[in-house]
Amino acid sequence: MYEEDRALVARMRAGDQRAFDEFVNASAPRLMAFVARRSALDVASLEDVVQCALIKAVRNLASYRCEAALFTWLTEICRHELVDVQRKAARRPRQLSLDESAATRLAVAELRVPEHQEPAATLDAAIRGAAVMQVLASLPESYFRALEAKYGDGLSVDEIARELGLTMIATQSLLARAREAFRARWQESSDETHIGASPL
Amino acid sequence: MTDRRPPANGKEADLIVERVLSDALMVSPLEHHRRERLRNAVMKEWRAALPAPRTVTWATRGWWFGFAAAAGLVAVTLAILLTAPAGDSALFGSVARLNDGGIELRSGWFRSHTLQVADALRVGQHLTVRGSALVTVPGGGTLRIGAGSSLYIAEATELSLERGLIYVDTPLGLTPSNPLRVATVAGVVEHSGTQFEVMSDSQAVRIRVREGEVRFSSASGVVDAGAGTELLTMSGGQVARQTIPTYGRDWLWTAALAPDYDIEGRSLMGFLQWASRELGRPLDFADVHSRDVAGRTILHGSVRGQEPLDALGNVLATTTLTYELRGDTIWVHSAR
Repeated sequence: MYEEDRALVARMRAGDQRAFDEFVNASAPRLMAFVARRSALDVASLEDVVQCALIKAVRNLASYRCEAALFTWLTEICRHELVDVQRKAARRPRQLSLDESAATRLAVAELRVPEHQEPAATLDAAIRGAAVMQVLASLPESYFRALEAKYGDGLSVDEIARELGLTMIATQSLLARAREAFRARWQESSDETHIGASPL
Repeated sequence: MTDRRPPANGKEADLIVERVLSDALMVSPLEHHRRERLRNAVMKEWRAALPAPRTVTWATRGWWFGFAAAAGLVAVTLAILLTAPAGDSALFGSVARLNDGGIELRSGWFRSHTLQVADALRVGQHLTVRGSALVTVPGGGTLRIGAGSSLYIAEATELSLERGLIYVDTPLGLTPSNPLRVATVAGVVEHSGTQFEVMSDSQAVRIRVREGEVRFSSASGVVDAGAGTELLTMSGGQVARQTIPTYGRDWLWTAALAPDYDIEGRSLMGFLQWASRELGRPLDFADVHSRDVAGRTILHGSVRGQEPLDALGNVLATTTLTYELRGDTIWVHSAR
């Protein structure tokens, strides 16, 4: 079912540089987005998570068994990396003196909102984005993945079908059901919380 | 805050849903310099993980090279025919890991070379192990060889330990019909699904059983030894027996040579059982909940290159469980 992914992995294991480039170019941006949507990490930490996940993946290409799309396999590794990072962060002391180190001062300085951004608009978008993610997380996993691939990663229906191992028709049907389920939950959410949700 | 207008019609609602989803899910593209940095870091690891090249690209050579290669091939074939060991050359195992020095192989009358990882070990070969080595055997199980050991592969399931230290690990579920036999100057060690260590030199042979049971046959008779037993044979033929722990510093060298355990897609329980065997410590759970969590947790990622105790800590850190070494036991309990 995932013959293209199987072939790509086989080429990588054989040392094909073009296969490696194809792998990184296709997966790195999507994995960055995948982690960004599920965390509040800064971009450097996102990069670290994705880098660790990709390194684990290339070290263990032999363990990819084509039971799911290669990207799905990568997202599972990413999820574990993210949990690990969050677990480590939770173990760190929660209260730090702001003048502890130069690094901390630098980090605080970087917290200032860039001049080209409107603070109110940024905050509104962030709250709205979090609310959307909360609703998506309450949907069946297949719905979430299909909507994320379509509207987040910009994949075509054909590409989503290949990734999910479905036919085109089944994928279109899945997307329609996913949109409908999202619309219903989003409506309920806006009725309950009154935060930033558009009426539909 | 929320407008209470009635829901829009189907098509309009779909458009709004699409806009809401796109706005929330679209993420800024990965900046070029970050992508390059990421690519370079991953590429370095990818290249390091690739096996050493073994083939020559003939297309890049001139046609004359083909003739030279053919002539060389004829010469090599003749050399092999002239120096090959007599008798069967069945597969015994293959080299999975080498540390500090590798294995020097001698077979036939004149052949001698250094083995690499993934090379096959065959009947009739004499091995001198400079550093320590891990060998996988067909049908499952491993042979771990201590530095400075010297041995001869007599048959597909028998080796002769001339000098040094070996550790045989044949998981109980993988017990082959003809288990490995180890011949020493003092006698022969046989087993059926076990872990044991044999040390041999010109003065004495020591056998330490970690799991299962072994049978030691010598000129003085037959002795059976179970887990946690050490047999020591002296030059007069007497066999001394004593009880030993199946864990601790005496076994650290075997843990350092433990084969990699592939955790991807496997249960936490399976991993814990592997760690328990490698560390020689029984597994115990604080309660039913902890056991259930271990049974239903599926692992992802890798612990490649990590020794069992390190892997145990790292894997459990990603779960809701943790562990303590209590006496001889690995005691697993909830982390909260």
